[in-house]
Amino acid sequence: MTAPAPSSALAPAAALEAVPPRRSPTARFLRRAGRNPSFMIGATVLAIIVAMALFAPLITAYDPYDQDIARRLIPPVWHAKGSWEHWLGTDKLGRDYFARLVYGARISLLIGIATVVVSGLIGTALGVAGGYFGGRVDMAIGYVVNVRLALPVVLIALAAAALVGSSLETVILVLGLLLWDRFAVVARSATMQVAHADYIAAARAIGCSTRRIVLSEVMPNILNPLIVVATLEMAHAILLEAALSFLGLGVQPPLPSWGLMIAEGKQFMFFSAWVIAIPGVALASLVLAINLLGDGLRDVTAPENRS
Amino acid sequence: MVAIERGSLWVLAAAMALGLPGAALAGKANDTLVYASDSEPENISPYHNNVREGVIIARHAWETLVHRNPKTGAYEPYLATSWTWVDPVTLDLDLRKGVTFHDGSPFTADDVVFTFNYVLTPEAKVVTKQNVSWMASTEKLDDYKVRIKLKGPFPAALEYLAGPTPIFPAAYFKKVGLDGFAKAPVGTGPYRITSVDSGKGVKLEKSKTYWKGSPLGDVAIGKLEFRVIPDGDTRMAELMTGGVDWIWRVPTDQAKQLESVPNVTVLAAETMRVGFLQFDAIGRSDSNTPLKNEKVRQAISHAIDRKAMVDNLVRGGARVMNSACFIDQTGCTDEGVPRYAYDPAKAKALLAEAGYPNGFDIEFYAYRERDYAEAVIGYLRAVGIRAKLNYLKYGALRELNRAGKVPIYYQTWGSFSVGDASAFTGVWFKGDEDDMSRDASIKALLDKADTTIDLAERKKTYQEALSAIAAKAYLFPLFSYSTNYAFSSDLAFAAQPDEMPRFYAARWK
Repeated sequence: MTAPAPSSALAPAAALEAVPPRRSPTARFLRRAGRNPSFMIGATVLAIIVAMALFAPLITAYDPYDQDIARRLIPPVWHAKGSWEHWLGTDKLGRDYFARLVYGARISLLIGIATVVVSGLIGTALGVAGGYFGGRVDMAIGYVVNVRLALPVVLIALAAAALVGSSLETVILVLGLLLWDRFAVVARSATMQVAHADYIAAARAIGCSTRRIVLSEVMPNILNPLIVVATLEMAHAILLEAALSFLGLGVQPPLPSWGLMIAEGKQFMFFSAWVIAIPGVALASLVLAINLLGDGLRDVTAPENRS
Repeated sequence: MVAIERGSLWVLAAAMALGLPGAALAGKANDTLVYASDSEPENISPYHNNVREGVIIARHAWETLVHRNPKTGAYEPYLATSWTWVDPVTLDLDLRKGVTFHDGSPFTADDVVFTFNYVLTPEAKVVTKQNVSWMASTEKLDDYKVRIKLKGPFPAALEYLAGPTPIFPAAYFKKVGLDGFAKAPVGTGPYRITSVDSGKGVKLEKSKTYWKGSPLGDVAIGKLEFRVIPDGDTRMAELMTGGVDWIWRVPTDQAKQLESVPNVTVLAAETMRVGFLQFDAIGRSDSNTPLKNEKVRQAISHAIDRKAMVDNLVRGGARVMNSACFIDQTGCTDEGVPRYAYDPAKAKALLAEAGYPNGFDIEFYAYRERDYAEAVIGYLRAVGIRAKLNYLKYGALRELNRAGKVPIYYQTWGSFSVGDASAFTGVWFKGDEDDMSRDASIKALLDKADTTIDLAERKKTYQEALSAIAAKAYLFPLFSYSTNYAFSSDLAFAAQPDEMPRFYAARWK
């Protein structure tokens, strides 16, 4: 098997196999990943946040919805008036801020992952179809991608939320239906690179169905760039949710969402800055972690000789 | 006084530095009082909006026949110089001579007759019909004398003539129509409206032709400018940087901190606005709504700790309300009216009795004081009712509710500053568009109370009606509002409990 000389980050994983393997691909991946600082930092921070979201009830004893308005706006522990009882303080209704933050991570991650699943399915299907079949199919899909790129995401999301009402499901669906363009573009060019490879021709020659070729021969070889796109889009979706919630058209109270927490903390910005700073830092860390992970992943999965 | 955190001072300093260029238009130096609030009237004609910002403009640009002295509560001559009750349904008024509208035309009986007869027509589409529906017709006796015929005896008539019934210029209004009038309104008040800019605000200027000897006293400030700034933090930043001179509805948390800002005066005062929950008791939003069940409504009433909300969220002189009206209004009482103590266990038991042991999901609507609405949602959640907040603009929410699509909402009512219980109960319980319970027996009681002349008898009937409303938990009153005013220290301003800022009485120091 021969592969074209790798020319971009989109080079198929098949290219790696041209190097005589001394270790298994997993071990090689781990060794390279371990040497990549941005991958390691991103992965560690993301792992912490995911663990927080998964084990929320074990991490905090407080219910994020339990209010005690006699004990509202308690400052966090590093503040002179703070205490360890509510170590990140309480919000304007006396709900434990750490509990809101931890349960809010669930919402952010849920939105990030669900959006990527929806948009990834749409974008990959379109991109692979365009890249594999080419010709008129490709032109038609290229047109659809162009139309999508001409639509301003935030504006459409706002309009959709205003039309059908805002809820968690709406946010996921709207973002999923909007954020598939990069998947389509990347999947298309990656598929075009492998579509004429010898192993595809071989598969055709032995009479494999198109379905089998796409799923078993094309997909595994274009997966790496798609995973990188998925991380970027996940960060994008989380930020957009925060923006929509901030504008009042995303997740609705009393659900704990970081964007909503930032919106609600805005009124305390002048005098109790921590109310807005804490979810702000959390959101920034999550998005940064995912982006670092995506960057690292791109470097790790790129061919050895690419700087 | 709470000291400002050191870190916050930087934020403040930055805000002030950024905002300074905007300071040019407001203030003592330009003799322009700029005041900012969150909402704007959808139509500036006082009969065609029901937001407080509209009432404020109405009281500055227009005049009514009668003036109620805010200090003594006495009714004083205004556009009418004297009045006599011919019988309980006939009121004769002598009108003031020598008053001119801002367009120069003289004020005469024709203007009163036109205004009052116009607002009674269905085509006028008056937003709050209770303000005028007690009148049957108005006729001209001579150029400066009119006779108002009432539909029935209405003891609060003078109170309404001193409030939400300003006089329009007949000839001008007929010429330009409502749309033209909304763009270039004309009245007789101490201030003349010079521009109406939808989404931005309204500019007013002291009227040069204003009549001498008005009960409003001498008007000191030359220009008023109302600016719509929907965001509370922006309003506060504008005040601190001198872009505006006067704001209100400052959340108590921030008001406490604002006290320590130089050149800003903070004032807290109770108002006659009452916050309450209203329920879709007849199933218009959904024929199976749990809210049709009286026990569910009572459960909700037991679930909410109003005292804690007043002590921690509202503060500043607010009081818990137990009747569907403001307690100081004539006819309003909570004696003998069923009360709902905070008792989550009882609320849960009532829900179980009603067939909802595990609670239910419901859409909750609100349009202002999102914190209060969220606190209510938090209390509901504690007894198993999972409410989702829908936060809308007032106009949108009102139309949604009038279309019967709102199951439960957090509403407030300031009674148009009318000190009579009918201004509250009439709007929410007399079968009109905003009435969500439409109970004929309550309407009958209120009709009787509104038209009873004998005060003791009248109070007794209101008490019966208010008791019935509370027993069936059609409306759950929460608390009276306090409002925090914050304004430039250059300004001498006094607040009144009727939630009506009187800029005509304000002065520069």
